[in-house]
Amino acid sequence: MRLAITGLGVVSPFGVTRSAWQDALSGSDDAARANAFRASEVVEGARTAEVWGFDPNEVLGPKGHRSFDRLTKYLIAAAKHALEDAGLKHDGAFVGPLTSEQLGICSATAYGSLDAITELNRVAELEAPRYINPARFPNTVINAAAGYVSIWEDLRAPNTTIVDGNCGALDAVLTAATHLHHRRGDGFLVGGGEVISEPLYRALAKLGVLSMDGKPGVEMGEGASYVVVERPDQAAARGARVLGEFVGYGTAFEPPESEALLVHASQESTERAVGQALAEAGVDASDVDVVVAARCGLAEMDRAEDQGLKAALGEDVAVVGLKRVHGETFGAAGAFGIAAALAWMNGVPVGSLVRGRAPQEVRHVVISTVGFYGNCSAVVLRRGG
Amino acid sequence: MSTEQQKGAQRVFVTGVGVVSPIGFGRVEFGRGLVAGKSGVAPIQLFDTHGLDRDLACEVKDFRPRDFLTAAEARRTGRCSAMAVAAARMAVEDAAISAADLGGPRTSVILGTTMGEANVLGELEAAWIHDGEASVEQSALPRYGTTLLPIHVARAFGARGMVQTLPAACAAGNYAIGYATDQIRAGRADVVLTGASEVIEKLQFAGFCRLGAIAPELCRPFDQGRQGLMCGEGAAILVLESEASVVRRGATVLAEIGGYGLACDAHHITRPHPEGSGSAHAMRRAIATSGLRPDDIDYVNAHGTGTSANDKVEAKVLRDVFENRQPAVTSVKSMIGHCMGAASAIEAVSCVLTLQDGVIPPTMNYVTPDPECEVDLVANRPRSAKVRIALNNALAFGGYDAVVAFAQPGVLPPIPDPSQIDPGFVSAPAAL
Repeated sequence: MRLAITGLGVVSPFGVTRSAWQDALSGSDDAARANAFRASEVVEGARTAEVWGFDPNEVLGPKGHRSFDRLTKYLIAAAKHALEDAGLKHDGAFVGPLTSEQLGICSATAYGSLDAITELNRVAELEAPRYINPARFPNTVINAAAGYVSIWEDLRAPNTTIVDGNCGALDAVLTAATHLHHRRGDGFLVGGGEVISEPLYRALAKLGVLSMDGKPGVEMGEGASYVVVERPDQAAARGARVLGEFVGYGTAFEPPESEALLVHASQESTERAVGQALAEAGVDASDVDVVVAARCGLAEMDRAEDQGLKAALGEDVAVVGLKRVHGETFGAAGAFGIAAALAWMNGVPVGSLVRGRAPQEVRHVVISTVGFYGNCSAVVLRRGG
Repeated sequence: MSTEQQKGAQRVFVTGVGVVSPIGFGRVEFGRGLVAGKSGVAPIQLFDTHGLDRDLACEVKDFRPRDFLTAAEARRTGRCSAMAVAAARMAVEDAAISAADLGGPRTSVILGTTMGEANVLGELEAAWIHDGEASVEQSALPRYGTTLLPIHVARAFGARGMVQTLPAACAAGNYAIGYATDQIRAGRADVVLTGASEVIEKLQFAGFCRLGAIAPELCRPFDQGRQGLMCGEGAAILVLESEASVVRRGATVLAEIGGYGLACDAHHITRPHPEGSGSAHAMRRAIATSGLRPDDIDYVNAHGTGTSANDKVEAKVLRDVFENRQPAVTSVKSMIGHCMGAASAIEAVSCVLTLQDGVIPPTMNYVTPDPECEVDLVANRPRSAKVRIALNNALAFGGYDAVVAFAQPGVLPPIPDPSQIDPGFVSAPAAL
């Protein structure tokens, strides 16, 4: 696998630009964390990392997005910035050599537009089903948010939404590589998005997953991030700036031994997914400079992942736990891992270390994502140029 | 068209199918129902339709999870996943594949859906909205989650490779089958359990009512008097295997998967592009990536929802793509309804049966020809025909177009090299 990354768009608790993301990573972890986690505007009494002050009119203009939900707006904002960063669009118009038909999307989410479904369910339950707003009904379909991105940005190559728990955004890398290999398009937005919603927060709280009342656990974040990927020869031919390259992917599933269990922390699936990604990349474990780990805050999950990483990469590699800084973004987690890796490769110092020493120079990054059910995916990124 | 072979690419075969449909369970019963023109339409029993102006749908009746699932599986799953596991059990039995051949990291599960466990979510939210958070049953929460759909299936068979859901609305089944084919072709899996599952749910039904998309009594695809779609539900799973796996275990092959085509209309979230440009692109790509020409296609299982917009555009695309030699066309949605995410998976099984049995199922309820929908429609009665190659069409919310080619074993040419196939980008500059 060799995919050139030529653009990045990030919508995060730090702002809606790539530079806001990089600035936050450049400073201290504590400062970034204090900036990201605040009193929730979505869930009363909660402390979460939301995309604060997001004004859709600023990014999307004043019209045409009234029926969009938050996920859709975040995805469009990230897509817009990534396409401009890649030099493929300017002020909404295609300016590069790639046209509408050559550009597509591979976008992940775990829970999709849950808030939009709840909004319609409230109307259906408290008034009557016949009063639901038909303009907002399409939001109930999981792929609708990414579908709106295609419409808004006029991207006519395939649009694929991927759901694989917290691993989907890395799976999207393989989807794009596959589409590019088969020439279903010549450039793809790869990444995903997730939003904090009251039903998701309440459900996870009830299941005891969240960090509350001093108990460790998941801290919820949200946002969206896309990179633009192309074949390296094409990126070179059009003179694109290459931020990095995807060179390997792996995925694995390990079920729990007990039939009665559903949630499962698996060392073996992390070890296998990372091992596959390294093998495909042709990169030795000793050449990996830093790992963006999933580290969600649940002790058992984090321990299993760490053991898997040690088994695949050894004891000494530097491991970063990024979610302490900007929260758990579930299906989008891998996309934020990619955004962090690109920042480090392009001069931002490595922070949020869990173990190991921060490397002076970052050439190879492994990103690991871990689902709650024994599913894991990983990619290897190489510095561009 | 190039016949240059894609180096190292594996051929992909269907070795087993399983179906949970409104007109029957399993390959044999489902196939009989299709050929007999059996209707799945009946008054809705899953929820109260009071005030919605429509009360008919093609529900799966008499589905009892414990007939197919263990007690632990039945406890863990909602209706959507339970139907997927049931269809997978039938498919695995049909393929006569052993637990040893199926277990391990070389088997993946890739499934489609539109809304997943929508009824689980609906029940949880109804409890929350009416009676507050305390009334929500904690033990019911883990049944919701689109991620879980392939995981339940993977656990049932010990599959330890990729577990992914591709929610591509009403094209989800074809998306999953196509991507599963990609994985085997690329050597990333030997066996993939693929297909899709969908349930009829109150909010979804109300939404289609509000869009004015549901027919009052009958779904009449391509008929001048068509008044809309009929909601359906169900699941279908196909066992896909690499040629190497088929040879190794001496498996019986039901069909071969050819190429597939994808496109995005980028036009409107619910309506197809009026010129059907994306749909035509997807069909042409499915044909070209199979190493075929339009003249080679014998039969098209149409998306054929019975809505005014879909059928008109789809008929135009069929005329544009096939020009003077029109293949036979059917929409089985006239019998089983529109099973949404599961539609193209169930219809993929229908294509496999047609290739096997030489009988094209009928498009029922066809009365008045529509000059705008002129195609070689197999209307009201099945048609016996030698079908060597079938296309399975799917068009979806979001402007998704997905078309998969199925062939009788031994009919397809060598797998073409993707770099030798015209990508079909009309406006692409020559420099790239």
